[in-house]
Amino acid sequence: MLRMQAIKKVYRTDLVETHALADFSLRVEAGEFVAIMGPSGSGKTTFLNVAGLLDTFDEGRYWLDGEDVSRLSDDQMSRIRNRKIGFIFQSFNLIPDLDVSDNVDVPLRYRGLGGADRRGRIDKALELVGLSSRARHLPSQLSGGQQQRVAIARVLAGDPRLILADEPTGNLDSLMTREIMDLLERINEQGTTIVMVTHSPECAARAHRQIHLLDGKVVDLEGRPAPIVRPELAPSLG
Amino acid sequence: MFAYNLRIALLSLKRNWILSSVIVGGIALGIAVSTMFSATRHSLARDPIPSKSGILYYVRMDSWDPQRPYPGTDPTLPPTQITYRDMVGIMKSDIPVRQSGMFKASLYVFPDPKVGRPAQTLVRLCFSDFFPMFDVPFKYGSGWDKRADEGPEPVVVLSEEENELLFGGADSVGRTVRIEDRDFRVTGVLDHWRPAVKFYDITQAAVQGVEPVFMPFNFVRPMKIRTGGNSDGWGPSPSVPGFEGVLAGESCWIQMWVELPTTGKRQAYEDFLKAYVLEQKKAGRFPRPLNNRLTRVGEWMKEQKVVPPQLTAMMVVSLLFLAVCALNLMGLLLGKFLARAPEIGVRRALGARRLDIFIQHVVECELVGVVGGLIGMALALGGLAWINNFMKTTFVARHDLFRMDGTMAMLSLGLSLLAGLVAGAYPAWRVCRIAPAIHLKVQ
Repeated sequence: MLRMQAIKKVYRTDLVETHALADFSLRVEAGEFVAIMGPSGSGKTTFLNVAGLLDTFDEGRYWLDGEDVSRLSDDQMSRIRNRKIGFIFQSFNLIPDLDVSDNVDVPLRYRGLGGADRRGRIDKALELVGLSSRARHLPSQLSGGQQQRVAIARVLAGDPRLILADEPTGNLDSLMTREIMDLLERINEQGTTIVMVTHSPECAARAHRQIHLLDGKVVDLEGRPAPIVRPELAPSLG
Repeated sequence: MFAYNLRIALLSLKRNWILSSVIVGGIALGIAVSTMFSATRHSLARDPIPSKSGILYYVRMDSWDPQRPYPGTDPTLPPTQITYRDMVGIMKSDIPVRQSGMFKASLYVFPDPKVGRPAQTLVRLCFSDFFPMFDVPFKYGSGWDKRADEGPEPVVVLSEEENELLFGGADSVGRTVRIEDRDFRVTGVLDHWRPAVKFYDITQAAVQGVEPVFMPFNFVRPMKIRTGGNSDGWGPSPSVPGFEGVLAGESCWIQMWVELPTTGKRQAYEDFLKAYVLEQKKAGRFPRPLNNRLTRVGEWMKEQKVVPPQLTAMMVVSLLFLAVCALNLMGLLLGKFLARAPEIGVRRALGARRLDIFIQHVVECELVGVVGGLIGMALALGGLAWINNFMKTTFVARHDLFRMDGTMAMLSLGLSLLAGLVAGAYPAWRVCRIAPAIHLKVQ
């Protein structure tokens, strides 16, 4: 589903160069639920931005869903983000002026779907996250957990192949965290690949695989370079 | 997607209504000022008779003094009017489809004593062709016929206002109006004919309203009517004494119009005028070189500077003021849009292209432009009403000189859209270039 090979991403200012990702390689299979962990500054967010085509990289290659997306135009990246990737953010990132239904509608608008199709997808997605009755509420009228469920509904409505979640439970209490993680698990069981950045060992434990980042590289728990795929798949990949 | 962007724009305007009001107010002010001055100029500059302005010609012939040029800025130009005797001479031509010599005079009109007192009133003396030639609209009746020209028969056409004054606005066709020492029968009443420029006679007071009374030209001799407009003469006094001397002299006081619908007719009429002048030269008149002019309505208005250059300058300044307003608003819009960077980041993450973001913000700018434009147009209408009132109390006896017509309203709306685009294009371009990743963490 996602394959990165020797990705290098450097942030430059007049004074310093920061190697956010250095010789970064990773492979995530379709249907996997992967947790990315690591200390602050380890490159988690940069990885998510690159994986989500929100940012470019300096060297290396990246295949997404079998397509080489290393050097795409901005429009091409927008199209892939819209059709293949769903984002879940720690701070929900709902648009405050739009009600729940309109927030879920945003990615569908950019896909150019007809009104009836959009309506059907929105209703179904809100039903899946249990928020059908709140369709006309503004985000400010919802709890944190409900807002995150709206964000998940926004993803579900787009029916993406890959979900990138950036600390999706970071702003939630334990009860809400459990709800959201249950929801993500159910979505993953339907076949959607999930890559989740988290600081929480409990949340990471619910993923199929935990990947640790340090200084822009994938490492094992001792900080040594780690395999880029699930160990059981490594021989077959050569 | 346009409706969606419009809804987003409305929400954005409502979100910070104070800032939105300032931005809309800025556009409104710029549009109000520029529309007011543009409409003022347009009122004078627009084609007063678009259906016929290409085939109506103002006739001039150079019968002026050989010793010095006719007064004016261009010494090559002939007098602006022609003599009575030349008008009589060229009116014999059957080349024009329609033709009329004309002048205005100030005569006493005697209303019914129960209605009002006698008053000096502007009267236009013209031929029957005047009305169909200038597409004059009638509320009641019509103009007079050619037989009435020749008689002349005592008939008149009244303006709508004069009919209101004399007959309370009723259908007065067939009723009698006393002018000076004789009675005239009303044949028609004009229907709201108020050209901003009195294009058929712009030699003097071009923005005055049309005359209240029109009567057959040939009453000039029996009633000894002298012109109330400009009269330019030269040379020795006529040998004939009295009023007949005025008619026989070299004094220029008649405006002459002809309708020549084809190039052939125009050429033929030019030849006719040339032959007429050459004939007059044999009789010792027209001492200057041949210099006949057939001038279309628009060219004649330009030549007579109906639109003062100062008015054009003021319009240009007002448009620059609008540009300054738009450029000042650019900063406010940029700040407003950049404050929304996190939302833009979200939209980009969800699949919006740069073009989508650009269009979304341009639609918002254009919404600001249109709302500001509508408010500005309303203010401009108020401003024009004020100017009209000022003009009425100071310069011209009319209250409808400057108007905003459909063309001007469309132009104003176009200016509003342009101002919105000028103010918003750069901010919209800036926000569409925002890297989506940067603001997602801080939303």
